[in-house]
Amino acid sequence: MSIILSALQYLGYILIFPGFLFCFLGGMLLCGIDRKIVAKMQKRVGPPVLQPFYDFFKLCGKETIVPAAAAKTTFLMAPLVGLAALVVIQLFIPVFHFSAFSGMADIIVILYLLLIPALSIIIGGAASGSPYAGVGLSREMVTVIACELPLVLVLLAVAKTVGSALGTGLCFSLTEIAAYQAANGSLILRASMIPAALAFLLVIPGETGNHPFDAAEAETEICEGMLAEYSGPPLAVYKLSHAIKMLTLTSLFVALFLGGIGGKIVNILALLGLTGGAAGALGVLLGAVVLFLLCALITIVCISLVHAATARLKIEQIFKYYWTVVSALALMSLVLAWYGL
Amino acid sequence: MSMLSYQHFPIYAIMSLFLGAFLVVMLGKNRAVRNALAFISVSASLGFLLALVKRVMIDGEVIAYWMGGRVPAGGYAIGIALEVDALSLFFGLLIAVAVFVSCVYSFSYMSHDDNVREYYTLFLMLAGGVMGLVLSGDLFNMFIMVEILTFAAVALTAFRNTAAGALEAAFKYLVVGCMGSTCILVGTVMLYAQAHTLNFAQLSALIAGDMNTATKVAFALLFIGFSTKAFIVPFHPLAADAHGAAPASISVLISGVLTKSGLYGIIRLTYFLFQSMGLGSMQFLLVFVGSLSMFICVTMALAQHDFKRLLAFHSISQIGYVLTAAGLCTAMGISAGLYHAMNHTIFKGLLFLAAGAVLHQTGTTDLGRLGGLSKRMPHTTVLFLIGAFSISGIPPFNGFASKWMIYQATYMKAVESGNIGFLLVTIIALVTSVLTLASFVKVSQSVFFGRLPAEFENVKEVPFGMRFAMGIFALLCVVTGLFPNLVTNYLTKPAAAAVFSVGNYIDSMMGAGYAESVMAAPPAAPVITYTELGCWDPVSWLLILAIALLAVTIVALAGKYDRVSLRPAATDAKHDLFFGGEESVYSQVGGGDLFWGFKHNWRHYFGFMHDLHSGIVNDYALWALVALALALLFSLIVL
Amino acid sequence: MILLNYIASFFLIALGFYTIVTKYNLVKTVIGLCIADYGVNLLIITIGFNPGGTAPIFTWNELNPQSFFVDPIPQALTLTSIVIGACVTAMSLALVIKLEEQYGTLDTREIRRLRG
Repeated sequence: MSIILSALQYLGYILIFPGFLFCFLGGMLLCGIDRKIVAKMQKRVGPPVLQPFYDFFKLCGKETIVPAAAAKTTFLMAPLVGLAALVVIQLFIPVFHFSAFSGMADIIVILYLLLIPALSIIIGGAASGSPYAGVGLSREMVTVIACELPLVLVLLAVAKTVGSALGTGLCFSLTEIAAYQAANGSLILRASMIPAALAFLLVIPGETGNHPFDAAEAETEICEGMLAEYSGPPLAVYKLSHAIKMLTLTSLFVALFLGGIGGKIVNILALLGLTGGAAGALGVLLGAVVLFLLCALITIVCISLVHAATARLKIEQIFKYYWTVVSALALMSLVLAWYGL
Repeated sequence: MSMLSYQHFPIYAIMSLFLGAFLVVMLGKNRAVRNALAFISVSASLGFLLALVKRVMIDGEVIAYWMGGRVPAGGYAIGIALEVDALSLFFGLLIAVAVFVSCVYSFSYMSHDDNVREYYTLFLMLAGGVMGLVLSGDLFNMFIMVEILTFAAVALTAFRNTAAGALEAAFKYLVVGCMGSTCILVGTVMLYAQAHTLNFAQLSALIAGDMNTATKVAFALLFIGFSTKAFIVPFHPLAADAHGAAPASISVLISGVLTKSGLYGIIRLTYFLFQSMGLGSMQFLLVFVGSLSMFICVTMALAQHDFKRLLAFHSISQIGYVLTAAGLCTAMGISAGLYHAMNHTIFKGLLFLAAGAVLHQTGTTDLGRLGGLSKRMPHTTVLFLIGAFSISGIPPFNGFASKWMIYQATYMKAVESGNIGFLLVTIIALVTSVLTLASFVKVSQSVFFGRLPAEFENVKEVPFGMRFAMGIFALLCVVTGLFPNLVTNYLTKPAAAAVFSVGNYIDSMMGAGYAESVMAAPPAAPVITYTELGCWDPVSWLLILAIALLAVTIVALAGKYDRVSLRPAATDAKHDLFFGGEESVYSQVGGGDLFWGFKHNWRHYFGFMHDLHSGIVNDYALWALVALALALLFSLIVL
Repeated sequence: MILLNYIASFFLIALGFYTIVTKYNLVKTVIGLCIADYGVNLLIITIGFNPGGTAPIFTWNELNPQSFFVDPIPQALTLTSIVIGACVTAMSLALVIKLEEQYGTLDTREIRRLRG
């Protein structure tokens, strides 16, 4: 009986929260908010916030065209693998006091799982056989390489900071990082972690392929690169993946740097109107809401505002920027953390 | 001791290969007989080693075998010995499996060549040489085996001597390889002059407590000698040349087996013979050389235009990982290194076989000429992708599990020793991994995806035998990735424990109590803690599977996902054109230029490296000499 | 005299390596390999040599604690090493012949199709 119950519970995690449904709703809403804010910044009216949902369902109703030059199975399966990987990452990221799969949430796993969505779009694009996709995947791969170094440095800095605070030397477990922040306050409040947080904020638009780091999908030059040949439901899945990636990266930021603050907000909200047995479920719900709000805030700061304020960079500029400026920021944090500051 | 006693199995495992080599050349006129003989000898070798797994790996027994029953007399080991501890057996198993699969692959792959009889002879000699090296308990015997395997490898590199560069590659390899062998021989006799024995265990006991100038020089010579066999920097250009020219089935052996023999030699040398891994300087040496190999070779791979040369550089890059992990001198580091060594044999074997399949069907490995083969060779494509994901460390394939352990081991070492240099190693390892992924994206785009050139319009899938061989490796990639606990418990942990129990190794050979009585201080068995910081849990992979299934269902349910549209009619113009509609313009980005954005920023580095790898044998010999000089300096001043 | 042997052997090894590095003719490279090999053989023999010792050839009855002979093991090693050296020379010369046929030259600076 208990096995069935726990199976149901895990199924709930995967399907509803923090799994598929949450990813779908949260990602799409973030995408809508982003578009609205950018439009406002550019003195346009912009689409309604729910526009990404409309786009998604409309695309799902369209015909799927497979180019004659494409490798069919790979072409159609690639989007789904990327989507699955993103949902898995979301399952691993703890939501303040709650984490669905606590044992497995390891920073290096996340680092590698984050490669899979990029890889899926690259392989999918390659399988389409289109020259535009060829250019696009080349740029996408370079962007991934560019982002990898600062990301690695940031994650190692966090691991070292939390590890030395806990006395274990290093700590790769996201759950422990979240627990540490719940007890001792957010990492962003430490001086040594501020450069790392900044670096991570700068990595987010690069990882999601948002402006100004969207050379890989530059619509005006290479017709969205890897997506050039996609249509119908597979394209919808890629659009969804892009939206979820925004949610995933921002919630990773929350988990790494803002855990304490978010936890406090949840606690305060929970105290306001709470008695009895519904505490657990309501706590999770509140956690979801707070997480989403924080994600939205970060999205606005590091995706929308940056988008509206900058022009697209060339690919070699992207690479140079990440491996110099952003990496230097992250490295600063790592060195500070190393010497225990 | 009866003939079937397990004590004899190691020598049987070696002799079945050598015997096969001679029988093939004598009786192998007929193709079926030849194949049967080769198959029987490699299977027998594998079988004998598998029969030892329970005793050596699980019960922890060390098999000491004296040829002709000449046990040590008067405290001196005069006879020739084989000694099989868990480390030897671990490498022996890797070799046996790689040889087995490569042999199966060869049946189809070599079917169009001349002189296949000689091919199998050399093949089995190479396999026997490496097997003899890792199972041997005698330093001079190791040298003999090194010579046999170098010879066989050189001859096999030049086997297709009409192919471009085959002779050239073989000659370069022969020159530098022989310089390495000479170093090993000089090192061996210098140790003999000090200790008057060639038995590995006895040498370990006698040398470790008594390091003088001569033994230090011997160390440098032996280290450089085994480095040439492992192809680590600065010997990597030889590997690239040899791999590019040799038949794919031999590339599997060179990368999966020959480099392992070098690695095995280095581990035996540093951990056993000189027992100097406790020194920070020794750790620095191995980690430095390993990281250098890791990084230089991955960047060299990014610049390659040839499928097999690219794979060759990656091979050395991965060997760099293994060496780095082994150089940490922690239980976790050794486990991680051995795990990665095993995975390297598997995924590199798979990738070389895939490259061989492409070569077999198209006649070229030039990345600039190939393209779009996934439509013609779908199975090979899938198998190649499995190998590519494994080597890039994408979960849940095996590369991820071992790389994860390597990152954790290096980072733990950095934290424990407080040395920021090890932190740098972690970062290099992580960045190298993504560069590896990048170059495999390049290969998949240039060979399997993109547009199919007209000349390859009629290419067919490879015969079943070749796909079967690749399938074995692919299956191993997945299995060893999904069950890391089994691998660590039954393979790498016993082998890692063996690395740290030198005293037991010596006593098993020379009689109980010998190590303590001879060495100045009894060998302190270091405390081994196997705290692996949370290992990759395959449950996560099941999660991915479940969610992928779910996503498939959702997409399938969402609207008009009708299957008819998946099979476009050939005449339907809608499916002909790309979005831009420029049918006649074929603008696929070529292999080497794919990562222009990356290479542009590093153009000075790439230009420098390109000029440095001049292809002149004198230059490579000079590198070898410089490396030797540096090793001598290091050994005399620092050690 | 022993010292001279050691000096000579290491000089030969160094000379062999020097030849390999500096000479651009394939045949000279092979000669370099041979010279290094001779150096090693001399070294091994020297290591086993005891001044005044007899040849290590005895039957069981002849051998007694007073017997003074040179160390037989290095001699066995030398034999093996000589055989291997001959193989190296044969193999490399075979490759040189084939290379000359294919490239039309013996100059190592022109035999560099594989590079970069």
